[in-house]
Amino acid sequence: MTSWIRHSAARGILTSRYPDRAATDEELPEAGRTPTAHPEELARLSDGERSLCPTGAIREQAVDQGRCIRCERCFAFGLRPLGSPAMNVGTREELRESAGLADRRPTSVAPFGTSLHVFMIDVGSCHACNAEVLALGTPYYDLNRLGLFFTNSPRHADVLVVVGVPTPEMVEPLRRTYEAMPGPKAVLAVGACAIDRGIFADGPRTGSSVGEIVPVDLYVAGCPPPPVAILEGVLALAGRGATPEERR
Amino acid sequence: MSPAPFDVARGSAFRPSDRTALAYVSRDGALALYNDYATHRSTLVHEPVLRGEDLEVRARWRGAAPGPRTVSVGGRVQGYGVFTFPYGPVAMGTAEAGAFDLVTYGERILELVPTVGYKDRGIEQAVVGRTVEDAALWVERRAGVFALAHVSAFLAAAEAAAGRSVPERELWRRALAQELQRIQAHLRLLARVADGASQNVGAAQVHALEEELLRAISRCFGHRWGFGALLPAHPSDRLDRNGRTELADRLGRISRGFNGLWETFLTSRTFIDRIQGTGTVPAAESVRWAAVGPTLRASSIAWDDRLRQPSVPYTDLFVPLATEANGDALARVLVRQEEIRASFLMLEQMLERWEGVGAGEVIPSPGIAPSRGIARVEAPNGDLVYDVTIADGRVASLQSRSPSEANWPVMALSLRGAVFTDFVFSLESFGSSFAETDG
Repeated sequence: MTSWIRHSAARGILTSRYPDRAATDEELPEAGRTPTAHPEELARLSDGERSLCPTGAIREQAVDQGRCIRCERCFAFGLRPLGSPAMNVGTREELRESAGLADRRPTSVAPFGTSLHVFMIDVGSCHACNAEVLALGTPYYDLNRLGLFFTNSPRHADVLVVVGVPTPEMVEPLRRTYEAMPGPKAVLAVGACAIDRGIFADGPRTGSSVGEIVPVDLYVAGCPPPPVAILEGVLALAGRGATPEERR
Repeated sequence: MSPAPFDVARGSAFRPSDRTALAYVSRDGALALYNDYATHRSTLVHEPVLRGEDLEVRARWRGAAPGPRTVSVGGRVQGYGVFTFPYGPVAMGTAEAGAFDLVTYGERILELVPTVGYKDRGIEQAVVGRTVEDAALWVERRAGVFALAHVSAFLAAAEAAAGRSVPERELWRRALAQELQRIQAHLRLLARVADGASQNVGAAQVHALEEELLRAISRCFGHRWGFGALLPAHPSDRLDRNGRTELADRLGRISRGFNGLWETFLTSRTFIDRIQGTGTVPAAESVRWAAVGPTLRASSIAWDDRLRQPSVPYTDLFVPLATEANGDALARVLVRQEEIRASFLMLEQMLERWEGVGAGEVIPSPGIAPSRGIARVEAPNGDLVYDVTIADGRVASLQSRSPSEANWPVMALSLRGAVFTDFVFSLESFGSSFAETDG
């Protein structure tokens, strides 16, 4: 018992200062950011270069952050990682335009108070997204300090966090889990698979998107998204999100 | 050229003993791989004559049919008051989409039947017709937490199939990446076992070390889970002199932190009491059901692909082998913590000798048939087998046997007669992943 206290004291406080301070490079590494380029540069890309993108995320005017799986192939012809956690979060349209929440301060999608309970459902993930969501409960991120909690039952949940690409067998469990939640409720789809099926878009058993099964309020882009971006998504649902400027 | 990793035999010429376990069998049944734990040799058998127990083992691995299937190791128990308690596929406890049927009369688990396949995304079917590089993007998203082992095995099998040589340095990078991810996976498992035993402070501290390791991997390879790190088109990593010094510093801190914590865990009676004698698998059952990895080594069988099927650079490194005798959850946890230390040691050796790695190329061992290669890698959960056929530079067929897949039968056995609260220790100490099983 006393030795555990000694261990904790020796390590000091590990917890992130996010969202009071901007995310550090350790918390938001390059692969967690949004690859993008100036619209003029994107327009100059040849069709051959564009087709190198395995998920077709690179369009004429913008990079669809929802489809991007961060494979970094496009870095060879000039795209670069940019952004803040807020740029990973947004509606489907906002992510399609590469901006995420960069241009707006989110309003709460439901009449929530400031404290939320979160239930995670996996509908066919590779487990990396699960791990990043659960990392929010560990000392480096500690979502409890923000009045956010994981719950073990959808009956106690305000927010449903969905990870993975729905397989045929998980469509009905996803729908029933959503129905089991009391209102008001919100859905946060986390990761490229949950947004638009990611790399699995033309797979033999992955024909439907999460958004076709349950109403999704916000999406968190990334493959997988870094924990600070997922945290930003949950905060945004509560109306506690902010633009990147405000996070500095 | 690398030494041939296995003996080759044909059909009835191969005589398995009771210390021989099936390691892999191709979908058409024309090819099987056996491990012999008495001689520490592997044999590749063409047109194998499968024994009754091999057929039983094979029936519990992924077959051609997609979707959910149960992994039962015996007939259903029936009797007065016996009922089935279903758990999953939606449960925070498993943190993944997988399910269990707990057959019970209310106190003890009479039988446990895992249901796997809820997450079957059809990856093996989907990669057919794609280039190796495109297929690798799918393979690393099969089980993200073990992505580096899967990609290494897939690329090695594809290289053997194409007869393509690989730069020696590239093999060192793969090994370095895999050892980093092994430590991370083992830390994660220890934290979850500690969590199950309500060792909240200890679990939080181990989770913190895991996060530090993820950051070290991200710093080195540009991605927290190493996606893309081993693919040919990936931008250069940070393994120059400065990058290696930084990595060595970070690893030193994590290693010291872990050693200090582990001593405290071992002196915690409440922790040890919960996992000692829980979820026991006798050695004979481990061999009978073809268990792999730390699960197998926890029942005193000394098999590790890094030693028994060594490839560059493991041929040049000191690879400590950890085994335990009791086959319980404590033994599995002890094997994993020994492997964490072993991996730190191997990483230290690799970083020290990085400068001196030759510029030469390594020719892979010959494919098993024209354009077909098999590769084995010791993934965090054990022996991982990839069997790849390449035609015109594209994947013509991909088959695999993952360690998680191989360990479900013994996991189910380990809980016979246990009480409900033992479930979490068995589940977490085997560490089988549904994503890796389902493909």
